[in-house]
Amino acid sequence: MVKIKKTGLNEFIEFLINDYDVYSPADVGKKIAYKKIHSAFEIRHDITNTHLSPKDIFFPQSEVLFQYSEDGMKVPEKNEKPIAVWGMRNCDTSSLLMLNKVFGDAHQMPDKDMYKDPYWKMKYDNCLIFNQACNEPLSTCFCNWFDGNPFAKKGADVFVVDTGDHFILEGISDKGKVFLTEYKTGEKVTKDDEEKIAELKKTAESYLPDVVNTKPLFAKMNKIWDEPIWEELSAKCINCGACTFVCPTCHCFDVSDEGKGKKGKRIRLWDSCMFQLFTREASGHNPRGLSTQRVRQRIMHKYNYFMDNYEQYLCTGCGRCVQVCPVNLDIREVIKQVLDYKLVKNEDK
Amino acid sequence: MCNCENTYIPILMKVEKILIDNPDRSLRTYDLSFVNEEDRKKFTYMPGQFCEFSILGKGESPFGIASSPTEEGILKFTVSRTGSVTNEIHYLQEGDIVGIRGPMGNWYPLEKLKGQDVVIIGGGFAFTTLRSMIVYMLENRDDYGKITVIYGARNPDLFIYKDELKEWDKRDDVILHLTVDKPIKGWNKLCGFVPTITKDVKPDPTSWCIVCGPPIMIKFTLPVLLEIGFAHDKIYTSLERRMKCGIGKCGRCGIGSKYVCIDGPVFSYEELKNIPDAF
Repeated sequence: MVKIKKTGLNEFIEFLINDYDVYSPADVGKKIAYKKIHSAFEIRHDITNTHLSPKDIFFPQSEVLFQYSEDGMKVPEKNEKPIAVWGMRNCDTSSLLMLNKVFGDAHQMPDKDMYKDPYWKMKYDNCLIFNQACNEPLSTCFCNWFDGNPFAKKGADVFVVDTGDHFILEGISDKGKVFLTEYKTGEKVTKDDEEKIAELKKTAESYLPDVVNTKPLFAKMNKIWDEPIWEELSAKCINCGACTFVCPTCHCFDVSDEGKGKKGKRIRLWDSCMFQLFTREASGHNPRGLSTQRVRQRIMHKYNYFMDNYEQYLCTGCGRCVQVCPVNLDIREVIKQVLDYKLVKNEDK
Repeated sequence: MCNCENTYIPILMKVEKILIDNPDRSLRTYDLSFVNEEDRKKFTYMPGQFCEFSILGKGESPFGIASSPTEEGILKFTVSRTGSVTNEIHYLQEGDIVGIRGPMGNWYPLEKLKGQDVVIIGGGFAFTTLRSMIVYMLENRDDYGKITVIYGARNPDLFIYKDELKEWDKRDDVILHLTVDKPIKGWNKLCGFVPTITKDVKPDPTSWCIVCGPPIMIKFTLPVLLEIGFAHDKIYTSLERRMKCGIGKCGRCGIGSKYVCIDGPVFSYEELKNIPDAF
């Protein structure tokens, strides 16, 4: 473990910038989101959850797949430096592990390279994640419903705790440990510091809501596909898609071409299962033409389909969708309602 | 880029031949050849698989491969003019260069069908991968038992691969039932919707059955097959959905926890019966 004085953080960040493109929570317009930084002074420490999730670093809202011209197709060049992210909370670090199952491991098709996403892999595979403990979880946080914890270290390369005047850094992965041994200017961590961390963890946990056991969700969802509950749950949704854009685990995208004549580029862009056009076929046929069907798709994908494919839920309890929903469709309430729901049609299943 | 293959980059194909399949020119069949020899060698596929057909500047659309792997050196696609990409495909001229990505998805269970009687039921221009399948089976004729084909179209003009249908009709090792929706002057074959004709033909339920057509046809043909007594794991169908990536990531072709692009497009009825609203 290494201890860094907050006033000396810039030195550390500069050390990091030597080898990495460094991203951290920073001001982006009126919001706080992850941004490439050039000094520690750009970092916003006073946040718990950024308004936008860090998925944008590895899976940008829009990304050029290739450019085409009469000379052929050209793939964008790889960045020289790997990516490091400072200040990521564990809900977000966990979300990257989930996305990596989709884009990186190609878990469903392990033996085939064609199912691995090169654009994701080139950014994620060599990245260094500084996962910062969450000292004051928000009222919208519910990571503890999904085995999360404000002080969890899962997926972190380096675990960081803000103890007031200092940051305490603990190497978690081999990559993280090696990096910390290379940084020689840190102070030693004392027993007092460790006690302080334990105390902060306790305080942080006291902010969390009562745990809801989400384990039975999967089995319950297997039975409710055609139950009337969906009309009720989706009644107020206006299909704006905000939840899917701020969600750190939503990964649906569109591919479209921009250009004129023989010159242009093929781009992928975030898309949303909340939009009617998402599934509408050229013939006019639309398998998810109704709002109810689309809300069901989103909820089922998170708490049933993903579990079926990857043995975990596609939600980390970050609470961003709760914050942004314009009609206050609170996913925590949805979960509770599903768990409490008394089956009407499929009692015997 | 990482060392893995970049699936998003199309390979280049040359339009060798264009066949206009029907009088209103809404259906055209394209024979494409590989521009690069390397790509040709690497591209191996089976009947039932599909490709993303790419027109740079317009986008991509998925189409079933209508050629059979036994027809070396070309890939065949039949395209109905429906949306912006298919519109652009219809503007193509022989000699033009296009892109494809694939082969994608799974294929018809040709291994399991060896030594078995096979019933093929198709409707409209969804006959593409069924053509691939039939050509493949005829090329390896001794591997398969009795082959029965039921193929329906709204009217005689809307059948695709008309020349081949004529040839198959002449063969004594294929039983071909062609049907149109309504009686029409000059049509001396069957009349009626595919489910009705299937009921009349009453194929042997110990055989294997492949159904491919518009969702409404599949929906009404499956109960007929079940009534005749086909086993759930011997009925196969091919589904379609709007697609983008073709590799199970972009999220739009999901049916339940399956993705049509990687878990399909070929599914057995056994698999599908537990997935709501699959067709």
